[in-house]
Amino acid sequence: MAIPSFLQGSSELTVSGPKIIASFDVFGITINFTETIVLQWFVIAIILGVCRFLTHKLTVRNISKRQVVAEMLVESVRNLVKDTMGKRWMCMTPYIATIFSFSICGSLISMLGLRSVTSDFSVLATWAAITFFLITATKIKFNGVWGWLKSFAAPVPVMLPINILSEIATPVSMALRHFGNIAGGAVITALLYYGLTGLSHLIGLDIPVFTIGIPAVLSAYFDLFSGFMQAFIFVMLTMVFISNAGPAEEEG
Amino acid sequence: MLDFLSIDVGTILFTLINTMILFFGLKHFLFKPVNAVLDQRKQAVDQSLQDAEDAKSAAESTKAEYEEKLAAAKEESAEMLRKAKRQAQRRADEIVAEAKADAAAVMQQNADELEREKRRAAKELRNEVSDLAVLVAEKVMAREINPDDHARLIDEFINGVEDAE
Repeated sequence: MAIPSFLQGSSELTVSGPKIIASFDVFGITINFTETIVLQWFVIAIILGVCRFLTHKLTVRNISKRQVVAEMLVESVRNLVKDTMGKRWMCMTPYIATIFSFSICGSLISMLGLRSVTSDFSVLATWAAITFFLITATKIKFNGVWGWLKSFAAPVPVMLPINILSEIATPVSMALRHFGNIAGGAVITALLYYGLTGLSHLIGLDIPVFTIGIPAVLSAYFDLFSGFMQAFIFVMLTMVFISNAGPAEEEG
Repeated sequence: MLDFLSIDVGTILFTLINTMILFFGLKHFLFKPVNAVLDQRKQAVDQSLQDAEDAKSAAESTKAEYEEKLAAAKEESAEMLRKAKRQAQRRADEIVAEAKADAAAVMQQNADELEREKRRAAKELRNEVSDLAVLVAEKVMAREINPDDHARLIDEFINGVEDAE
């Protein structure tokens, strides 16, 4: 009797990037439309759908449970930004919320058996580039272009290459850290499924019974914990780097 | 299929667009309405506090006003009482003075009356005595005397009587 394919477990191990759905050539540059983008739409739809649901019929008094949740979310992000960056950076709140929610939900869709959005390095590179852009913009805003350029030669001109390197290392390390954690988790989960399937076959079971339950334990760490942690670390670093790019805020 | 660790221009481009979509979506669907409600609530709370403060100060001013009025009324009533007392005192004094004056007048009148009565009595007595003297003299002298002698005799007699007194 043939066993349905979804019950056969993972019998081959492939570690690969996202699938390319379509490819266009624009001015000689290949623009790939990948799986990641579709999954991003899915994530965006979920997030905005939840927002729409939570902010349904907002009232000033006698608020509903959904509104409590919506207000709590907004307040917690605002407080996070206020505590980490200071009052003058409150305008960053929606951006921080965007990256945070996108990162968490993008990582957590792996729980649905989908490929994590955040296991595509291009995504993290984009976000890290935005952060880098904001850091640089803040530095130029507060020091002027000349002041910003001069800061690379500080305290002594010999430091120039090291300063440039450290400047670039910031977004690169942020992106790689996030990518490495999520993608590594995905690899380990794939390995685990493969190994448990092999173990089931080894003791003569056609249906891989070991893959029931056991991966959930590791998934709690690699998907849930890692997903939250990396999203949190990414936004915390973003906030700290951007607010540090400006001068220290006066008290009061 | 892309490599496991790959940088893809298309993905970056679309991710940027998607991130912006989510950014504006969150701003529009979550932050804008929730912030509006939070601001409204804050305003409502501030308004309530302001109203309460206003009401409190209004009540305090009303209380002060009433206390002032009460003090004024007390003062006024005390003044009225004093005035009434003074008036009553004056009236009593007047009455007593009047009574004293009346009594004095009555006494004066009585004294005058008495004096008049005394004089009248004295006059009557004089006339009667004179008549009596004339009669006695007529009887004694058994003769008529003329009225001039008569009057002289009487005067002499009366003077004698008054001296005797």
